[in-house]
Amino acid sequence: MSTVPLLELNGIVAGYGKMDVINNISLRVNQGEVVTLLGSNGVGKTTTLRTILAQTNLKKGEIRYKGKNIAHFPTYKIAALGISYCPEGRGIFANLTTKENLQAGAYLLKSRGEFKENLGRVYSLFPILKERSNQIAGSLSGGEQEMLAIGRSLISSPSLMLLDEPSLGLAPQLVELIGRTLREINNTGVSILLIEQNAKLALEISNYGYLMRKGTVALEGDAKELAADKRVKEVYLGVAEV
Amino acid sequence: MNYFIQQVMNALGWGSVIALLGMGYTMTFGIIGLVNFAHGEVFMAGAFAAYFILTIYKLPFWLGVLVGLAGAIIIGLVIERMAFKPVRGAGMITLFITSLGASIIVRNLSVMLFNDKLKSFVFPDFLKGVYLLGDLLIFKKIVVIFLITVGICALLVYLVKKTKIGIAMRSISYDSQMAQSLGINTEKIIIITFIIASALAGVAGLLWGVLFGSVQASMGALAVVDAFIASVIGGIGNVFGAMVAGYILGIGGTLFIAFLPPELVGLRPLFVWIVFFILLILKPSGLFRANIK
Repeated sequence: MSTVPLLELNGIVAGYGKMDVINNISLRVNQGEVVTLLGSNGVGKTTTLRTILAQTNLKKGEIRYKGKNIAHFPTYKIAALGISYCPEGRGIFANLTTKENLQAGAYLLKSRGEFKENLGRVYSLFPILKERSNQIAGSLSGGEQEMLAIGRSLISSPSLMLLDEPSLGLAPQLVELIGRTLREINNTGVSILLIEQNAKLALEISNYGYLMRKGTVALEGDAKELAADKRVKEVYLGVAEV
Repeated sequence: MNYFIQQVMNALGWGSVIALLGMGYTMTFGIIGLVNFAHGEVFMAGAFAAYFILTIYKLPFWLGVLVGLAGAIIIGLVIERMAFKPVRGAGMITLFITSLGASIIVRNLSVMLFNDKLKSFVFPDFLKGVYLLGDLLIFKKIVVIFLITVGICALLVYLVKKTKIGIAMRSISYDSQMAQSLGINTEKIIIITFIIASALAGVAGLLWGVLFGSVQASMGALAVVDAFIASVIGGIGNVFGAMVAGYILGIGGTLFIAFLPPELVGLRPLFVWIVFFILLILKPSGLFRANIK
């Protein structure tokens, strides 16, 4: 079995403009794993994901995907390698219909047949999207928009999904549904790098986790160990120092 | 009554030119928020390229059409590369001022090179002639111009609504960074949009030549203002809306002066502004849903 991780970040320093938000981040996602980034607001979780997509100012470090350094690729080429992104706040195109959003997500697919097949898969995962297919996406409910955003980043058949706060602002049943769906997606062989404020949910579905603090990794380990770790609990309960 | 219908028939030609310009204008406006005053110069470049082939070198009409289109596309892309690319992502005001600057430079260069006199535009006989319908005169060329415009509009609506490129254009207009992370090469799509818009301006330039039988170095100056207003009235980014608005402005402007005493003919542009201001007050988002944005 090859030991090359699917995604590997080594000593990443990055930020916006002159300001560094993350400082010396190293992490890895192995093929088939769900890895989660934990940490309170403003520690650089989103910046880490956006750095992988070349949407920040990368100053140092290397980003390897399947062993290849992709640090200076433009965003659209990174997407073409099989990395998809579902941003915090969903980032759906409110001016397009549900189906057109999915078509935009399928931009990289070469054939119509492939699109039809993947569209069917997204619709069976989220049947409500099929009902809403001709509705303007801006008029969907928050939960439906989240499903659309996940569906849109899944429809291109990625190898790795970057998900930023998929359960943010959703009702508890929906949070559960999203959790189940992510596990299902992972079972089909898609690796996931997840940011999630619901640490319990995140660690339940993850294999491995990183706890971030002030722009760097404070703690890492198997999801089960992290779930039991006092320091993780403290961060999420808002108790002072880690 | 006949006088009224006759005026409408005649105005269809001018309306078509505005419609074609407005359709191209609305696409770049919609996708990168560009208020492109240099679009009028692309229009002029298309007309002049065709003028050289047809009037000066007396070459066949099809070659004039090809070179006219190519001339417009080249000038459009040169302006894009030199003026707009360096300020990509800047606010609308920056883009607006940049386009105004580009427009002034190109227009004055062409006035210097070719002077600003009307130049006769030679076009083939099959576009000449009139049909008589009762006592209405129907100009053959206006029928052709109208059909071309409507046909192009249908193609564009299909492109924007149904094709992969169209969906990419609309997603870029909403959130270009998100579009990129879906694998869309936004620069490529923007260039394609410029090529389409410039080609439309080229067609409009050619049709202007056929319609009036002449071209002029400053011909873009007035037309581009109408095109801009047509794109706003039609709903920014809405190709079909821009066409309808182009005809409203073209036909309305003609009727406006048709019933005024001859010495007030110079007031024609006033009509466009009246419509524009009324619309901005009553329905600032345009008559039709903004399609791209």
